[in-house]
Amino acid sequence: MGTEWPDGGARPARRDGAATVPLDDNVALYDEVGQLMILLNPSAAAVWELCDGTRTLDEIGHALAEAHGATDADAAVIGDDVRLTVHKLADLGLVVEAGP
Amino acid sequence: MPSAREGAHRTPSLRGLSYRFAVRTDDERLGHLVDAVLAGLRDTGDTAPVEHWYSLTSSDRAGTVDVRRDDEEIARRQRPGDAVGWVVWDVNRSAAEASGDHLLFHAGALEAGGTGVLVPGASGSGKSTLVAGLVRAGLGYLTDELAAYDMAHGMLVPYPKPITVKPGSFAALADMDPARPGGTGSGGAWTGEEWQVTVGEGTGRLIGRPCEPGFVVVPRYDPGAETALTRLSDTEAFFALAVNAVNLLPHGSTATEALGRLAAGCRCYALAMSDLDEACRLVAGLVAEAGAAAPGGGARGH
Repeated sequence: MGTEWPDGGARPARRDGAATVPLDDNVALYDEVGQLMILLNPSAAAVWELCDGTRTLDEIGHALAEAHGATDADAAVIGDDVRLTVHKLADLGLVVEAGP
Repeated sequence: MPSAREGAHRTPSLRGLSYRFAVRTDDERLGHLVDAVLAGLRDTGDTAPVEHWYSLTSSDRAGTVDVRRDDEEIARRQRPGDAVGWVVWDVNRSAAEASGDHLLFHAGALEAGGTGVLVPGASGSGKSTLVAGLVRAGLGYLTDELAAYDMAHGMLVPYPKPITVKPGSFAALADMDPARPGGTGSGGAWTGEEWQVTVGEGTGRLIGRPCEPGFVVVPRYDPGAETALTRLSDTEAFFALAVNAVNLLPHGSTATEALGRLAAGCRCYALAMSDLDEACRLVAGLVAEAGAAAPGGGARGH
């Protein structure tokens, strides 16, 4: 994955080997491979859930914007947040580019 | 140097979680002290063989005691009580290493009416003091330092080592002083700067039964604070348990899911603690109230 990943057409997928536990509106995630435990806040947890390898980054952003009834301006902000979140999850080794 | 191989005194078979051991000594009086201090760990009803032997031998140097484990010399202590304390420390370490399928916590644990109370916290948090106070108040004792959660069956299991009391808690637990005439701590031992307080039959400190946990109480000793319980969210409880889990990494996902069940399935509280008696009153009252409110005496859920 290049430094610009993910772009709008990327299809992020959760990597196998992570256990998740819902806690209030958050999700605790334990990564078996990296032996890492993190807490996903509600926004990050929603992004994580949509990283199923079938949706593009743009489609994830659109889905969340629609779920929140966002204006166009807000939708753009949501899109940026989604990209940053997926990038961070990829840095942690939790998300990868789905295969063709 | 005399050998204790055919020693004057041998304890019955003892067990700390999955760690099976016994102690022999060439000093009958030291043997009785060991019997009393480790009485809570007697392996009644289990015929599995002893796997490790501790030998406490009076050294050529007056007053000192050599400590061996499986015939390997591991320590020499100036006083018999210190030698016993060293055995308690080594049993703790060994029990943690032999934990098997248990998820272990730096935590005390108690049982009340078939429901478990887990008390996680780092050294200095007040967990052992709180456990001692609650045992004094009549709750069943499971452990004061190393709580074992059987993940497969969802149960806290007893590891009733002697209760270790540090100098900061001597005043609050003065009746448990092993050296106090007529106190409840007779039969225990001073080990270095600490007390090892006996548990089990005849001590007035009952050993609890394996039980499902219903409460998590996270203590924080703060002499300037009002003693009070504050409800924790599932998220807060989860991470309070996670940071006090001893063997989280080896159990990985299984342990993570177990932590989630504990956080969501127990009533979880932070306890700011300055007054031990008030803290015990609050926790005992919480458990009693839940027991009275629930049909069948359980204390599950929020």
